[in-house]
Amino acid sequence: MRVSIVQGGGLVPIVTTTIADSASLSHENAEALRRKVEEAGLFGLSAAGGDRHPDRPSYEITVEHDGRQNQVVLDDAALPDAVRSLISWVGSVPGHQQRIGPPGRG
Amino acid sequence: MTEPATHPCCFILPPIVLAQVAEEGNARDRDAALKTLAASASMRARRTVVQQLGLTVAQFGALRLAPPGERRTVYDMKNRGGNGLPGTKVRGEGDPPTDDVAVNEAYDGADHTYDFYKDVLDRSSIDDDDMELVSSVHYGVDFDNAFWQGTQMVYGDGSGQFLAKGSLTRDISVIAHEMTHGVTQFTAKLRYSKQSGALNESFSDVVGSLVKQWVNKETADQADWLIGEGVLGESLPGVALRSMKDPGTAFEFDDQPAHMDAYQDLPDDNNPRNDNGGVHINSGIPNKAFYLVATALGGHSWESAGPIWYDTLAKKLSENSQFTDAAEATVASAQERYGEDSDEEKAVKSAWKSVGVL
Repeated sequence: MRVSIVQGGGLVPIVTTTIADSASLSHENAEALRRKVEEAGLFGLSAAGGDRHPDRPSYEITVEHDGRQNQVVLDDAALPDAVRSLISWVGSVPGHQQRIGPPGRG
Repeated sequence: MTEPATHPCCFILPPIVLAQVAEEGNARDRDAALKTLAASASMRARRTVVQQLGLTVAQFGALRLAPPGERRTVYDMKNRGGNGLPGTKVRGEGDPPTDDVAVNEAYDGADHTYDFYKDVLDRSSIDDDDMELVSSVHYGVDFDNAFWQGTQMVYGDGSGQFLAKGSLTRDISVIAHEMTHGVTQFTAKLRYSKQSGALNESFSDVVGSLVKQWVNKETADQADWLIGEGVLGESLPGVALRSMKDPGTAFEFDDQPAHMDAYQDLPDDNNPRNDNGGVHINSGIPNKAFYLVATALGGHSWESAGPIWYDTLAKKLSENSQFTDAAEATVASAQERYGEDSDEEKAVKSAWKSVGVL
């Protein structure tokens, strides 16, 4: 399983791409990733944004697993707690990768 | 029973009838009508926001009426995010400081910004009708951001990686920046996309810097012209979020242009990579124009260039205004304030030409 999270649009003019791939995680964390993705219900979510507010970030979350891929774009205000927890976890789990760049090139 | 999605608020007497009573009634009726008109105007402004945003009853509560004057309220999100705003009330107007630094900084920063708008620009709060200044701190877990949510300011704690922990309420330019997004919402309503969005961002940076200069009593030459000085975390080497003096130099990934030659025409396609069409990128161009005007005129920026920009935001721009609209409108504002062929008008024209807009 591979989870990629692109975040942008916030007060800080950067785009961050954070990736957690089961192949690069410990067995325990790979299982935790699978569980958190399941709890987040990402395969059932559709894009949600609502009204646009200055400096409020949005997230593109891509999950690849067993040949399936699902991608959603969510505004920060539309994040279910389980998705917020997944984003936080992916950004801190040992073995994750992260890229930083300016908007348009990040 | 589920809570209604939005809060209904209606008025029985139309404003024209109240105005007639105010004009023709006896002293007691006139006083009552004037108070109702004032409240109605305030409520209509709030109703517009409520309808635009589809607020819940709880969120609408943050907009409730109260006596005029400065009203600051700070809430604690206790590291929750999303729809829990505004959170738990921890400090209201006139309350003593708490043990929480972020709460006190948000309270004091709102105070400085309110005072700036009132004393310098003769504006009464965000809506010019003494709207309550609502701030929520400790939003999310290690949240590297602050934003304007449509009715209030929201501050994360910073993770230490991208933004220093506790930094978001520390710098007055960040607080004034977010509050000015609210002012823009109630004035020009600049659409948060591409050039109009970059103007929206730039006006917030302009006032962010002006409030900092006003608090520090700095002249244009003494100011650092930085937005969010010292807020960056360990993964973003640099000095600030943005430099109005030298766009593109504030930190390692700062890609702001200072001239139309380097304008980045990013799509507004709901892709987080593209920053709503580069609103935080291309704002470097109008930012630089303001810096050039302020330093050309010298002295205190809030007494010279600041009022020209504020007049433009409050009276001349609209939802889809572009850079050239802003340039022409600031020239017109300078003429109205200082006269044709005044040094101020010349400085404004020269600045927009320098950045390639005129």
